[in-house]
Amino acid sequence: MFKRFIYLITAASFILGGVAARAQDAGALLDLLVRKKIITDQEAEEVRAELTKQTAETSAGKLKLSTPITELEIYGDARLRYEYRGGRTADNTSQPNDWQERERERYRLRIGLRGTLADDWFFGVRLETSQSNRSTNVTFGDDTSTTSGTTTTFNGPFAKNSDGINVGQAYLGYKGFRDITLTGGKMPNPLITTLMLWDADINPEGAAEQWKHTFTLNFGQSGVAQAEQSYSKDNKALAISKPASEPWTLKIDVFANFAQFVYDDVNPENPVGKRGTTDGRLKPQTDAWLMAWQVGARFNFAKNYYFQVAPVLYNYTGNGDTFNSHFVGGDPSLSNSDSLGTNQVGINSLLVLEVPSEFGFKIGELPVRIFGDFAVNFEADDRARAAGFPDKGDQRYAFMIGAGIGQLKAKHDWQIQAWYQHTDQYAVDPNLVDSDIWDSRVNMHGVAVQGGYALSDAIIFNLTYGYAWRVDKGLGTGGTGDIGINPLDKYQIFQADLNVRF
Amino acid sequence: MKRIYLNLITTIAVIGSANGDRLVIKGSDTLGAKLVPQLAEQFKAQNPGTTFDIAAEGSTTGIAAIIDGTAQIGMSSRRAKSSEVGAAAAKGINMKPTVVAYDGIAVIVNANNPVKSLTKKQVEQIFAGDITDWSAVGGSGSKVSIYTRNTSSGTYSDFKELAMKKRDYAGGSQKMAGNEQIAAEVGKNPAGIGYVGIAYTKAGGVKVVSIDGATPSIQSVQNHSYPYWRPTFYYTNGEPSGIAKTFLDFTLSAAGQKIVNQVGFVPIK
Repeated sequence: MFKRFIYLITAASFILGGVAARAQDAGALLDLLVRKKIITDQEAEEVRAELTKQTAETSAGKLKLSTPITELEIYGDARLRYEYRGGRTADNTSQPNDWQERERERYRLRIGLRGTLADDWFFGVRLETSQSNRSTNVTFGDDTSTTSGTTTTFNGPFAKNSDGINVGQAYLGYKGFRDITLTGGKMPNPLITTLMLWDADINPEGAAEQWKHTFTLNFGQSGVAQAEQSYSKDNKALAISKPASEPWTLKIDVFANFAQFVYDDVNPENPVGKRGTTDGRLKPQTDAWLMAWQVGARFNFAKNYYFQVAPVLYNYTGNGDTFNSHFVGGDPSLSNSDSLGTNQVGINSLLVLEVPSEFGFKIGELPVRIFGDFAVNFEADDRARAAGFPDKGDQRYAFMIGAGIGQLKAKHDWQIQAWYQHTDQYAVDPNLVDSDIWDSRVNMHGVAVQGGYALSDAIIFNLTYGYAWRVDKGLGTGGTGDIGINPLDKYQIFQADLNVRF
Repeated sequence: MKRIYLNLITTIAVIGSANGDRLVIKGSDTLGAKLVPQLAEQFKAQNPGTTFDIAAEGSTTGIAAIIDGTAQIGMSSRRAKSSEVGAAAAKGINMKPTVVAYDGIAVIVNANNPVKSLTKKQVEQIFAGDITDWSAVGGSGSKVSIYTRNTSSGTYSDFKELAMKKRDYAGGSQKMAGNEQIAAEVGKNPAGIGYVGIAYTKAGGVKVVSIDGATPSIQSVQNHSYPYWRPTFYYTNGEPSGIAKTFLDFTLSAAGQKIVNQVGFVPIK
């Protein structure tokens, strides 16, 4: 009799879950069997002890979590990359039509922990290689020597100076209110956006409030239609319900995302003595904040059609102490070095509306998406005037349009996407745009193609190619990228990636 | 020749009996305070020469003693944790539990408190600090004073698991050394609430509150209809043998279970 229970419990344990979960799963089952007087408490305890012993001997059983953690996920990815990128000088410079090119082999590692805590709290931590805000890559062989001031230190081949581990994300959140998520810290970007405005590697710092609610609307006929008469083989009448016409359902996810990011902290806000001046003006001494307000919806139609639009308005308050000079973004009339030396990072006069959108459907089993983004800076006139180009206030728009097919979820999956992207000089914040497309620059437009193939569920091979041109020949290409040319007249990039995700 | 061997064996047996058997029992103070000493006394009356070394310093010490090999029986008012079982397995120790009695954990309040019953949710909220005033559960408007066992007690962790969904106790809860101390404090404090083993509910000045309509009793614990019950254990290294097995068998016998009942625990049958 008892052996039968052992088999029963063991079988149930395997059905219910993994080895680590056996004791807990079996515990509920054992309690039920005891309550039904099928087994005694002593028999239940012996089975429970055996399962606990088995669990304790597994790897998972040796991992101990503190009681308040109700769920913990370890995740991450590692990537090997070959990259070529090159930029060409303009034809009216001292070194016309000259390409600066760079090839490098790189890797990145990201390891994260996401957990839920008791009472609706959650947290996340992610460690990343590279200190850069817009990249987690480390370049092989780039740290054979380091220079500090006038002193150069020989590190030797395969040195570890640039192979650091940094805190990429560290955030805490609360989901105790219905439909609402509150997050604070260094967090994954809570906004729905594209790389036209935000590099995907950026983890903004500050606070975010998100609300999402799903409305389901039913249209058309519902219920079961009147039965039709039918006959079986032996001519006996059968009443068969005529299939009712499917009601047409529209599920709408309405969401709002609000963010207050600390863009640049001033230290100190109130210094001893008089405030300093720049060009006769008092230096600003308030923290710079990036505020964002996003309201949007995703309309999920029947048969896997969906459309999503998520307008977001960005505004900057305060000045900070790093970004408080006026943006210039290069000047074609200057030498390359002088043009590079103009301010590339100022966040003055940016009131940007972005409207990312996406339409998706399926061809057979293949998901297809058409995506786009549009942005306009309502204060571009002021930004252009402050940069010394008062007649260029019309350089205020950015837009992208593209399409993708396929997905990369499982082994042998593939995906291709291509898009056109155009960014005017004064349209968006050059400190946030993607660092690969187009080298962290604005005043560029071009096309990019990406293709990926899943060698296994966890291994993805990706190829990316992009080519871009300067938009306005009378302006520099603002932003701080890897190519030391401004204006960047032409630009191209090729990347081959092998990704391991876990 | 056979007679010589028989005489030798008889002599050794007599010497063994004269020296007596020594049984080392460590662990739970819930079991070790009353139940096991009384079982030991009765056992000694039936088995002259047997000596007991009983140390009741918490369930954790009982389980550790089995792992360390410093006791033949480990008393515990909780199940061995996965980490303890793992540590035992690593040393080749097989932690075998034997259920020897049930213990109902009763929630007690001051005898003058008008509250007679609570829901499981209310108990969780009170002990976790979500409810801080008696008026929220039908009592008079006074701040709730919470009394718990100290952290080394098996009852401390058992009550968290049984009644509090493993949440932490409220920050202001006062930790007491034993059941008697909790009962005494609640008996003196009109706003007090605590939990004690079913054996300690007769203390003066306290009353038991029903939980979801069920009060702790022999029947409600045996049929598991009362929510806050727990099995109590003797842990041994594998199947017990020798004097440990004899004492365990005595504990489970009718005579032993009668003592279980007499000291306020619930017999297993």
